[in-house]
Amino acid sequence: MNDNVIDVRDVSTTLGGHSIHRDLSLTVARGEVIALIGGSGTGKSVLLREIIGLLRPQAGHIELFGQSVWDSTPEQMNALRRRFGVLFQDGALFSSMTVEDNVATPLFEHTDLPHATCRQLARLKLALVGLPLDTASKRPSALSGGMRKRVALARALALDPELLFLDEPTSGLDPISARAFDSLIRLLADSLGLTVFLVTHDLDTLFSIIDRVIVLSNGSVLGSGTVAELKRIDDPWLKDYFAARASEETMAHGN
Amino acid sequence: MADPRAHYDEEQGALIASGVWQAEAAAALPDLAGKTVRVLDGAGVTQLDTNGAWLLLTAARPLASDPMPELRAFQPRHLAMFDLVAPHTAATARHIAPRREGMRALTGRGTLSLWRNLTGLLAFIGHLAIEIADLVQHPGRWRWREFGAQVRDIFVGAIPIVTGMLFLLGVVFAYLLGDQAQQFGANIFVVDGILMAILREISPVIVAVLVAGRTGAAITAQIGTMKVTEEIDAITTLGLSPLAVLVIPRMLALLLAMPLLVFIGNVAGVAGGMLVAQQQLDISTHMFMDRMADVLLLKTLLVGLGKAPVFAIFIALIACRMGFAVTRDSRSVGTNTTSTVVQSLVAIIILNAIFAVAFVQLGI
Repeated sequence: MNDNVIDVRDVSTTLGGHSIHRDLSLTVARGEVIALIGGSGTGKSVLLREIIGLLRPQAGHIELFGQSVWDSTPEQMNALRRRFGVLFQDGALFSSMTVEDNVATPLFEHTDLPHATCRQLARLKLALVGLPLDTASKRPSALSGGMRKRVALARALALDPELLFLDEPTSGLDPISARAFDSLIRLLADSLGLTVFLVTHDLDTLFSIIDRVIVLSNGSVLGSGTVAELKRIDDPWLKDYFAARASEETMAHGN
Repeated sequence: MADPRAHYDEEQGALIASGVWQAEAAAALPDLAGKTVRVLDGAGVTQLDTNGAWLLLTAARPLASDPMPELRAFQPRHLAMFDLVAPHTAATARHIAPRREGMRALTGRGTLSLWRNLTGLLAFIGHLAIEIADLVQHPGRWRWREFGAQVRDIFVGAIPIVTGMLFLLGVVFAYLLGDQAQQFGANIFVVDGILMAILREISPVIVAVLVAGRTGAAITAQIGTMKVTEEIDAITTLGLSPLAVLVIPRMLALLLAMPLLVFIGNVAGVAGGMLVAQQQLDISTHMFMDRMADVLLLKTLLVGLGKAPVFAIFIALIACRMGFAVTRDSRSVGTNTTSTVVQSLVAIIILNAIFAVAFVQLGI
């Protein structure tokens, strides 16, 4: 049995006359924690939106759990949506609802459970992402950026998905919160057996919790592998990318 | 996929589960009232996630003081789910009753918010006065470009709707009035009635209502969204005054556009009346014009046009202030926009009533 959770084949995208992807292909196996990196404007977020079914590519084929994203009936797509969770860059919490109802919304919509039970399960998710119980009745606007990200993660996990998409999970967080969030993602990925696909600019995330990195460049996959393997690829952008980290380390050790 | 099942075994005091245990499995739980669960048996469980583990655990152990049941025959990865969930069951299962507020609390809250609204408006007018005084001293800071863009949006953009609406109202008013007047053979007096009603009341009020709905709502939504995206803060840190940049150009554009729109409304309304007079009452355009020249007083026109700037100031004040009162969430943009329209309409009706009484008392 093919155990690829994400399968992207020969995807080409053109937006506003600009070619974004040309025959891009990649696969993600079950249980992997994958990071997608690439310079600004290489179409990382566009690819993510195509995989989760928000933006249709001009050509190519995208499968999640062996089921096509763009050739499914609405019912099949809804069943598919239940199996993955998405954490948007700024959290995308519903500002008119309490934190608890935000997390319970997927349960309200996808299950027949009584609302009281949905809310209790939402509180369980809030506890799992390390938020104190008194946040449950607050509104998202009353929380700090790091807490909002955690609430958004709890909402993404509400239905216990097998696959989690994260769009720049640590952007806008201070380094301490960012590292705490990284280790939370890794902990949940390991304990819940999640497959994680994240788009990031954060080198520290790459070095700490990622199994495999996929590099986008010029509209297709430049390479994929562990950080050590990527360092051997001869590409000017990639060299610069890792050089930023190297110089940071020499400065730290030089003192 | 195997459906989730669970049954209670009296002899062992065991809750025996099988199948796929996810959130939907809640319906499969048996009634355990009055029974003690000593053992959770998961030999037949094929899939278990945190939702399923939580459901089984809280069913077996409804109170935190109850002893932890023995977990029997679960697969190791399922036991890991219980390890994750177990520390949190007690706290999450507690029922939190939503807070209900009594009549007294609601009245108090309502009064306070009304008070805050009024003092806020007063403070806003104060700030605005300071900014206007500052602008008078430094005319170089006046923003022509923003003013021009606002005049275009508020005036030029509203011409089609104002023309269309007032024309239709003129038609309807002349038709109903003509129907009455014909019974007395007083056809020609329809002209007097149309002029009085359109110029003095209908055109100023309807134009104000249209502008409140169209421009007032747009101003609140725009300033409110700028508040949410911190653009207002950016304007302040650049050393500019949000009031001078955003509010004053809009207010003056409204002040200029409203009388012009009312005049356009006058023409359209009278044209509508003229059409009906010609078709239904046999009053030719020529006769209509002659009668208009005889009976139309300048003051009728000026009373109508004079109301427009007053309505404009109130709409601008309410709309801008509600925009600045938006807090940082998307819901308050919606509620404040609604509030702008409602407040503006109430203000227009009240002001119009005050005008009517005042003009009669003053003999105008």
